[in-house]
Amino acid sequence: MSTVTAAHKHVLRQELEAIVGRGGVLSDPDELLVYESDGLTMFRALADFVVFPTSVEHVSAIVKLANRESMPFVARGAGTGLSGGCLPSEGGIVISLMRMNRVLEVDYDNQIAVVEPGLVNLHLSWAVEPRGYYYAPDPSSQQACTIGGNIANNSGGPHTLKYGVTTNHVLGLEVVMPDGEIVWLGGRTRDAQGYDLAGVFVGSEGTFGIATKVVVRILKKPQAVKTVLAVFDAVPKASAAVSAIIARGLVPAAVEMIDQLTIQAVEDAFGCGYPRDAAAALLVELDGLRVGMEIQAERIVQACRDAGAREVRTARDEAERALLWKGRKSAFGAYGRISPAYMVMDGVIPRTKLPYVLERVNEIVAAHGLRVGNVFHAGDGNLHPNILYDPRKPGEEARVVEAGAEIMKLCAEVGGSISGEHGIGLEKADFMPLIFSAADLALMQRLKNAFNPTGLCNPGKVFPTKKSCVEVGPVAYRPHPIEEKGLAQRF
Amino acid sequence: MEAVPLDKLRAIVGPAHVLSGVDLSPYVVDGRTPETAVFPGSLDEVRAVVELAAGAAIPIVTWGGGTAASVGTPIAPDRPGMVLGLGRMNRLVEHEPGDLTATAEAGMAVAAFQTALRARGQWLSLDPPDPERATLGGVMAANAAGPRRHLYGGARDLVIGMTVIAADGSVVRAGGKVVKNVAGYDLPKLFVGSYGTLAVIVDVTVKLRPLPEEERLVSLRFERLKDAATATRALMASDLIPNALELLDPDAARVLDPSLPAHAMLVVGFDGLTEQVQWQCDELASLVGPLGGAGLKLLPPETWDRLGSVVAAALGGMPAAVMRLSVMPAQAGEVMEQAALAARARGLLTACAAHAGLGVVRTALFSPREGGEIAPVAAALADWRAIARGAGGHAVLEWAPLAVKSQVPVWDDAGAAGRIMQRIKAQLDPQNLLNPGRFVAGI
Repeated sequence: MSTVTAAHKHVLRQELEAIVGRGGVLSDPDELLVYESDGLTMFRALADFVVFPTSVEHVSAIVKLANRESMPFVARGAGTGLSGGCLPSEGGIVISLMRMNRVLEVDYDNQIAVVEPGLVNLHLSWAVEPRGYYYAPDPSSQQACTIGGNIANNSGGPHTLKYGVTTNHVLGLEVVMPDGEIVWLGGRTRDAQGYDLAGVFVGSEGTFGIATKVVVRILKKPQAVKTVLAVFDAVPKASAAVSAIIARGLVPAAVEMIDQLTIQAVEDAFGCGYPRDAAAALLVELDGLRVGMEIQAERIVQACRDAGAREVRTARDEAERALLWKGRKSAFGAYGRISPAYMVMDGVIPRTKLPYVLERVNEIVAAHGLRVGNVFHAGDGNLHPNILYDPRKPGEEARVVEAGAEIMKLCAEVGGSISGEHGIGLEKADFMPLIFSAADLALMQRLKNAFNPTGLCNPGKVFPTKKSCVEVGPVAYRPHPIEEKGLAQRF
Repeated sequence: MEAVPLDKLRAIVGPAHVLSGVDLSPYVVDGRTPETAVFPGSLDEVRAVVELAAGAAIPIVTWGGGTAASVGTPIAPDRPGMVLGLGRMNRLVEHEPGDLTATAEAGMAVAAFQTALRARGQWLSLDPPDPERATLGGVMAANAAGPRRHLYGGARDLVIGMTVIAADGSVVRAGGKVVKNVAGYDLPKLFVGSYGTLAVIVDVTVKLRPLPEEERLVSLRFERLKDAATATRALMASDLIPNALELLDPDAARVLDPSLPAHAMLVVGFDGLTEQVQWQCDELASLVGPLGGAGLKLLPPETWDRLGSVVAAALGGMPAAVMRLSVMPAQAGEVMEQAALAARARGLLTACAAHAGLGVVRTALFSPREGGEIAPVAAALADWRAIARGAGGHAVLEWAPLAVKSQVPVWDDAGAAGRIMQRIKAQLDPQNLLNPGRFVAGI
């Protein structure tokens, strides 16, 4: 609910239009509705304005105006986030970066690209693909999500097992600070001087300022890729295979696990060639030099067989590989066929705890009378239990929320984290005390004060409110409009 | 100004672990002797020492192996403060091979850490200079790295968690123990490269890699540095995946191979399966041959650790200053040539080497005669800084005698980002007690 009077809102709209031009400001409640939530549709909040800047000067001027008015503001990319991180406060300004979506420069000699924050992740790889390069972080929403959003959440993806997450690929950022000042954090060289400001900015969930230019590393595409599918008749055997691969000193680009419920949903929906009666499947991808690829693939196959795989095969060609990945990346869409709604979790655990935690997750969900599908980054221990439910059945949503809270507690208990790549946002803010002490959070708050002393830049995120974990739970999933249209998948 | 309460410190860490008088000589930096040196043996003791220092407003200089102790603006003479040595905190806390992670206390030497990991088939893919002395905490604080950073990244890419003692004595857990984690701000990034100015690191958790089946370091010589630099760019654009790519000018190259004529040298590392390493060595030879590279030679494994010191060890090994220029990678060779020319114009000699793929150039300056004057050294260093800026980067004076440091700023201008750094420092260390005045932007 806006705190601005209608008359003042009219004046502010004119001021914002003077900055970005006509057609760059939304303030009609009907138009604002589109921006009231992100991929986690349970949380909703209506802004006073959505503004579409096209330059850093625009962003700076909008931020200065917001400061003058003591209005909260938040940057927004494609809105595919899964933690409510880019939700406005009630009232305030949403600064959409979607019109700042250019690749400004590609420097192949130095293997960097300079891009605007609204650029879609996959479009960067497309831009450099003709010269044999790509951008490594590959969130499953990469057809829609933006580089700026990836910066805010320090996004991952299946191939981050080998290549690292967003922070490992960002060298520098031009940032509009929460007071409107334009500053470079890091730069174009591999080393910056002083504190690693770019390093702390990445993953700060939009609370340290707004990135307006980003310098990223681009990588040479590997000579060869090999994809192995291993099929198991028991989940613990699949978990054991993950450990066996690591124990043999192999470093795959990706190791993904898909359980039976998910396989059946995927096969019903798309028919990607996963055996429907399997308890679990592992999708293992190797990349690198052509030389030695066969030997490494053979070692993966052997490790899976020794762990009790009933069938192991390698993709014969690019078409089969693409089909297997389609199955993996479409899993979330496929849940829609078997359940009216689901909630995706994002816990991380030490890899060795995988068999125990998977069993416990299934027990927890069953104890709440619900079903769970697991499709996740097994190689780095980043779980995505998807709790299926029907929001129309009374009490079911509350049970989902309880089960989700227990799963987060479980991840914390085994030495893990409550988020591997989706971020804390609003959703998990009250669960931060599960893994951080008051002193840990106090130091984070002091760091935030150095960037964002007024707190106007994306307020209410990351830090717990006064309420305890027991009182507030995560909220349940509803499909995002772009997901319903099949434009994006979550992972 | 309160005197350091030695009795209270002795009560915390035990009398044997508080040094005074002549025992402080190993901890003299830039001619300044600390007021005391204290060596706690546990996290609780570190916390108690920091609390005591905070209460009495005594500056703290955290000390690991001392390998980077001389980096930085000279310590203020009026209040040198206490050295907080972490050498007794040198235990491996946890190594779980199945998780590819390990935790060690900050004072554990990198070499000892690697030995323990190697026994179980793994390693930390970080190879700072002087690993026998350099400690894990010190390497994080100084953001030290070596040639393998080319493929495996630096400290920031490998650390996943830390325990630190904040300036007020509170114990803070930064990051976690899992390899992927976006909960809260990425605090380990803040402490990497902060030179002890924000907190005292007491333990470190890192990501590991399996040991490669084979690793080889090879060299090629080039008549002209320019051609060797062209070869580094060709290599970067190729399908090869080197784990190190070093460019050495003739004087630096002669440290590795005294028999070498005045030729530049390209040093390249490969790891992986034996057939992968062999194939890449063969490809390397055919790739750089047409560019003037010749004499592919296998270097002994101990060369890895010598690469970090080739410039300082060149020309008899008594440099007048060592500077580190961070520039765009494709310009590394050109920057080396410009730096040498600029020094020669001042009547000085140089040796230069670069992590070519990273654009990190290290240059050492030598006076042709013993007891050379300061003025040309200071002038050449200023020239180098201008060259680094011209190539899109900056320069840090890594080592120089006090007389030079008093004329040439150690750190480059940090601009607007420097003001944000000052705000961070003020928030985390409001009394300005952690290694004060030695870092970027006067921090």
